[in-house]
Amino acid sequence: MSGTRLWITFLVAAAACVLALMLGRFGAYLMHAVVIASISALALNLLTGFCGQISFAQAALLGVGAYTAGNLGNAGWGILSIPVAGMASAASSALIGLPALRLRGLYFAIATLAAQFIFDYAFKILDPLTHGVSGLLIKPLTILGYVVQSDQAYAVIAIICLFVTWLTMVFIGETTLGRAFLVVRENEIVAKGMGIDVARTKLWAFVISGFFAGVAGALLAFTTRLASPEAFGLSLSIDYVAMIIVGGLGSLPGSLLGAAFVTLLPELIQRVGEALNIADILSAAREMAFGLLIIVFLIFEPRGLSALLHRLASRSQTNIALKTPQPTSERRRSELGLKLEKVE
Amino acid sequence: MYALQLATAGLAIGSVYALIAIGVVLIYKCSGVVNFAQGAFVMLGAYFTYAITRLGLTPVIAVFLSTVLMAVAGAATERLVLRPMLKAPVVAIMMVTLGVLIFLRAVALAVWGPDQIAFPKLFPDGAIEIFGIFITYNYLTAGSLSICLALAFLAFYRFTAIGLMQRCTADNSRAALAIGIHTSNQISLAWSMSAGLAGLGGTLLATLNGLSLGLSDIGLIAFPVIVLGGLTSLAGAVVAGLLLGVLQAFTDGLVTPMLEGLLRAYTTIYSVGALQQVLPYALLILVLLVRPQGIFGWRGSERL
Amino acid sequence: MLEATGVTIRFGGVVAVDALDVMVRAGEIVALIGPNGAGKTTFINCITGAYLPDDGQVYWKGENIVGLTPNALTRRGIGRTFQNVASLHDLTVLDIVKLGYGLRHSTPLPAVVLNALRGRDPVADELNETLLHPLGLADFRHVPIQSLSYGHRKAVDLARALAAQPQLLLLDEPVAGLSSSEGRSLAALIRRVRDRLGCAVLLIEHKMDIVNSTCDRIIVMAAGAKIFEGLPADVQVDPEVRRVYLGEP
Repeated sequence: MSGTRLWITFLVAAAACVLALMLGRFGAYLMHAVVIASISALALNLLTGFCGQISFAQAALLGVGAYTAGNLGNAGWGILSIPVAGMASAASSALIGLPALRLRGLYFAIATLAAQFIFDYAFKILDPLTHGVSGLLIKPLTILGYVVQSDQAYAVIAIICLFVTWLTMVFIGETTLGRAFLVVRENEIVAKGMGIDVARTKLWAFVISGFFAGVAGALLAFTTRLASPEAFGLSLSIDYVAMIIVGGLGSLPGSLLGAAFVTLLPELIQRVGEALNIADILSAAREMAFGLLIIVFLIFEPRGLSALLHRLASRSQTNIALKTPQPTSERRRSELGLKLEKVE
Repeated sequence: MYALQLATAGLAIGSVYALIAIGVVLIYKCSGVVNFAQGAFVMLGAYFTYAITRLGLTPVIAVFLSTVLMAVAGAATERLVLRPMLKAPVVAIMMVTLGVLIFLRAVALAVWGPDQIAFPKLFPDGAIEIFGIFITYNYLTAGSLSICLALAFLAFYRFTAIGLMQRCTADNSRAALAIGIHTSNQISLAWSMSAGLAGLGGTLLATLNGLSLGLSDIGLIAFPVIVLGGLTSLAGAVVAGLLLGVLQAFTDGLVTPMLEGLLRAYTTIYSVGALQQVLPYALLILVLLVRPQGIFGWRGSERL
Repeated sequence: MLEATGVTIRFGGVVAVDALDVMVRAGEIVALIGPNGAGKTTFINCITGAYLPDDGQVYWKGENIVGLTPNALTRRGIGRTFQNVASLHDLTVLDIVKLGYGLRHSTPLPAVVLNALRGRDPVADELNETLLHPLGLADFRHVPIQSLSYGHRKAVDLARALAAQPQLLLLDEPVAGLSSSEGRSLAALIRRVRDRLGCAVLLIEHKMDIVNSTCDRIIVMAAGAKIFEGLPADVQVDPEVRRVYLGEP
């Protein structure tokens, strides 16, 4: 990512913030819901999309972030609650990931399913921290003494967090670790043979992904003002997996698209239902549409929305001409100490 | 004595678990797919039975018909959803079965609503006493029916011609195809048998626990069962199902009161909630760490 | 530098490698040849940590490396290429080579960020000049490797291994699947790598013309054991080698 692209991203984020401030309450609410979902989708995408590990425990990690931020926020930690919540989730994620290092694909997925249920149970039981089934009431976020009340303000804060998340993901792609992620996803055995430390790579994927899940959870805590076990159950985990699949596994813009899609779909169906006066079976219709969409997507466009849009956008594909390169006979000197001549 | 009491109840419900788990193993062996929608099949079977009894038919016919309907549903799912995805990566196939789960749950929600429904009485009320252990007719029938069916299914798989074809397809579908077995039909058959078993299991569970959407969550118990028993072992599923049923009963009856006593004495934690629901999953992780192939499975049989 | 003594590997009742002694000194190019099933690849896999020997030791620069992971070996300067080059999704040539580089050298994070912001990529430029150009891959650096021909993919694999600046390069049939001119270029490249980089090379190969023109020393294996070791000129006349290869009594 070059400086110019950084500026563009910054401008987009800034424009989004301005938009957020101009929207009404409901608009701002939708905005921060989508943005928070995007952060979590990007986090899951790192783990599943780039690193090939399917996880059904995403909601549990958000829950850890939410409860941590909630408790810290209530205790007056202010804006620090968010990064600390991230760290708590990162630690939980590593905890889930450590035993999983030895497991492959399918077994790992089942293990994360079990982890989700276990965390679920912990949320219900650890009364002093979580207030059990009734949930933890959370005071609004305070930043340096100023109490954040409006949906618009939360939307802006969420956008800033998303900006940071996005940049991190992009930068990771430029590092050895990021490339290692991709190879591990494709073929662990090849990765190992190439000399990649697969265990460490996977663990890093868990930690980084967990951190941002925690941040998303923290933001959820402050915007919904309640953290309860119900909110962070298996169905939310499935929602997030759906987001990254619909958006496109491994695609960063895809995660945003998927998050927007899955978050806004219920709202859309709500509107349509209200317009057609069939509000009754709506929640069921929503779920049905959701399930059907996942199925249809996976059958017809397994690479998700981003691939679909990509195909539509680039009508004229430039064929990469595999010409033989013209030899030059310059000898290149290098800082690495390798001096190799061109092979004729 | 109390322990035996618990064990009996545990065995009864464990056999229902076994029935459900057999279905998942069947599909996995045949096509390498883990059917996350099994929970939905469980739930749907119970709802179908309920709906058919509402139409006025006798419970016996209702159970039979609902099982048949579920078998059709299973085959339909395989044809419509799984068949187009033969070449897709594992992630996608897993997700698609989840999609089916979500969809079927939503359908049930739309048709029957979110509340618990009184399930029709299939078995007479009352209990009998055997050697000092009380067991209701419900538990007795559900348990013995399940275990008989499970064992019958194992026998079918082992000794009949169709069972042989199933085993061939499961072992090596290419070779099976080469020797003339219609593998795609076998796979559809596996799905429909699996769904039928699940539906039946659901009906029996509903007689014990009541009818609600929550049955699909209980259906997920199949996963700890098959991990414990071995992902590729039918017999393992039966044994593990029984074991987990007993484990749950003991947890509920013995461990929970004991733990709660301790916790209440020393902390502010009042209850351990549904410990018996979560224990199978903790056990699952333990098994995956210590012996991933389960009790009866083979090392390295997991497909990536 | 590499000293393997008495390495024995058994698979059940089959002795794949039988008390093999192999030594590679710094800067040498040694070929390991022999009929199929002689145990050459098994031996190489043992060095790279895929198999544990039932007997014997393998020392690298004085350290026992038996059982170390490929990651550990890469950091100690041992690299290898593969016969079957996996297609890795849409990773480009440059991605793979950079990965190889990054496994041995870590650029500090602030430098990564700064370079990215300035749109500069000194590592990529470096690798491009020193590795991609000589291997004829410079024009393909942004092409996903799955679209490349087999020959090009092998070249990428070699570049990946070289980017980690190994002191010992293990090559498993490097010219298999290449045309004879490609093969000769690769052989010349191997010599150049040794000349410029001082890298030792242990290669498995079947094509005798490549072996004879490239290597300093040849080790001949048959049925898991070493039956000859010496100069290329002497290999062809050794009676035992002739018996194994040509069936002469």
